[in-house]
Amino acid sequence: MIRFRTPNFRGRHAVILHRKSNGTEQLARQLERLGMTVEICWPALPTENLTADVIFFDADNGFDGLFPWSPGEAPMPLIALLGSELPGRLEWALAQGIASHVVKPVQSSGVFSALVIAASNFDSAKAQRAELQDLKARLGRRPEVIKAVVNLMQLGLLDEDAAFGCLRSAAMDERITIEEFCSRLDGDRLNQLILHQARGKWRVEE
Amino acid sequence: MRREISLGLLYSVTGTYGAMGRDSLDGALLALDEINGDETCPIRFKVISKDPGGNIDSYHRMSEEILREDGCRHVVGTITSIGRKEVIPIIEKHDALLWYALPYEGFEACENVIYTGAAPNQHILPLFAHLIPTYGNRVYLTGSNYIWGWETNRIARELVLATEGEILGERYLPMDDCDVARMIAEIEQKRPDFILNNLIGSSSYAFLQAYHALGKRDSDFLPAKRPVVSCDLTECELSDIGFEAAAGHLCSAVYFEGVDNPLNTQFRAKVSEKFGSARPLSAFLVGSYAAIHMLAEAIADAGTDEIEPVKKALFSKTFETAQGPITIDAKTNHAALIPHLGRINDHGGFDIVLAAEAPVAADPYLVDFDPQVFADQVARDTEAGARHLRLVK
Repeated sequence: MIRFRTPNFRGRHAVILHRKSNGTEQLARQLERLGMTVEICWPALPTENLTADVIFFDADNGFDGLFPWSPGEAPMPLIALLGSELPGRLEWALAQGIASHVVKPVQSSGVFSALVIAASNFDSAKAQRAELQDLKARLGRRPEVIKAVVNLMQLGLLDEDAAFGCLRSAAMDERITIEEFCSRLDGDRLNQLILHQARGKWRVEE
Repeated sequence: MRREISLGLLYSVTGTYGAMGRDSLDGALLALDEINGDETCPIRFKVISKDPGGNIDSYHRMSEEILREDGCRHVVGTITSIGRKEVIPIIEKHDALLWYALPYEGFEACENVIYTGAAPNQHILPLFAHLIPTYGNRVYLTGSNYIWGWETNRIARELVLATEGEILGERYLPMDDCDVARMIAEIEQKRPDFILNNLIGSSSYAFLQAYHALGKRDSDFLPAKRPVVSCDLTECELSDIGFEAAAGHLCSAVYFEGVDNPLNTQFRAKVSEKFGSARPLSAFLVGSYAAIHMLAEAIADAGTDEIEPVKKALFSKTFETAQGPITIDAKTNHAALIPHLGRINDHGGFDIVLAAEAPVAADPYLVDFDPQVFADQVARDTEAGARHLRLVK
């Protein structure tokens, strides 16, 4: 496998959501130097066929409803073009879930690093969101685990740690989470589990 | 009536990398003598030359003086990337143009800089495309402790790993530090196929001298077997290293003294006349010389030294120079150049081993570089014993 870590944006598409100016043209030139294609529009994003891999937007003049998605839900990295440092403007830009920013007036330096940082932040935020969703879902099923532990303690005459250990091992054997395993645990399967536990085996046989 | 144009020169001719600065300054001054002495040229330059002495704090102040007090719109100079990065914000603030004529590590395309030295795809890529098939892909990396060494070594690491090779070590020294014993001991122990030297100035000289001593002790470390290779070592530093210690090692450059074209023959004669026949020619000497001539031509063509018309004039033509034809790409502000590979001979010069057939456009962000294509090419060349660059000798 080729491990080449130099960031490369060749062939990616950028949308600059900002009124046309010297700054947007300079930004577009710099993005083209990086092998990207560029589209400049303001004030509306093209809602159909929006294929942008990254969006640079005017954080000085941006307004609620600028993007066709809820704040923080952008399907691609957002990079704020910041001229004003007013707290209200920064607050609005942050609420959009920006992945990085470029200070106005735009210069040739700073664009590459903004892209690299945005790509990295966007990817890690996506991974964190997925992990968070998974953890929340598992947390929501915790009562089922508690119920299974209690049943196993009562019917199998086990202490708490042994009951939990029994469930965890059985879930691992089936390569599913303990929450998933417990949610499928009906009376028959529970009896099987107790039987196998008594024989020194944890596996629930189908 | 010839129009007088103020021009700033900013070269560190003293300090640890002073030899590179003196060579660059001499090339610039030679070109300026010619232009100012040519009565048919519509412009003449009033030169303001400053020496930051390799002291990083001086670059900011001196470039500000050149632009604010002396009213220059064009500055030719800086040697190291630290110097250039220090000057660029001042250049941008005054909307002036910096002419930078040395090889550098890339990942920059400032609209207020014209880059006439080599970018990575013009120095380290062709160098490694040749070295790995010839010597192997177990490599040791050295450098001075700043961005040139760090970034060039990072690219080298990626090139080596793309071919499933191995980096046996990576060590840095502060600028001016000559304590190379640890690097040499590590190289002696690990026996890399070749060593990439991104040390600059006195550290580099000390390293090559110590490696030479190692080779005398153990013939397994002679340059024919395990060469030290560089992307910024030129003719102007060979006497500081010592001809015997330098001989046999390899360098990538966009020019060597032996480049065979009529303009280079003329250039050699001009340098002999001004500096004496013993003066070696180098990529630095010819680089700043060519940059000044391109600047003068572009100002004459534009009829002004305002930077936008000058850039437009610059982008629209091919400049015939001692290092070959040069064009500047309007998209990147970088020059298309001819990569060469040279082997240091025993009398203070380079023998040209290979040269590209035509100028190669700069790709400062390595946008068009594909590691898989590189690895495949290296694998093919390793098998065939072929050469990426055209064999000239």
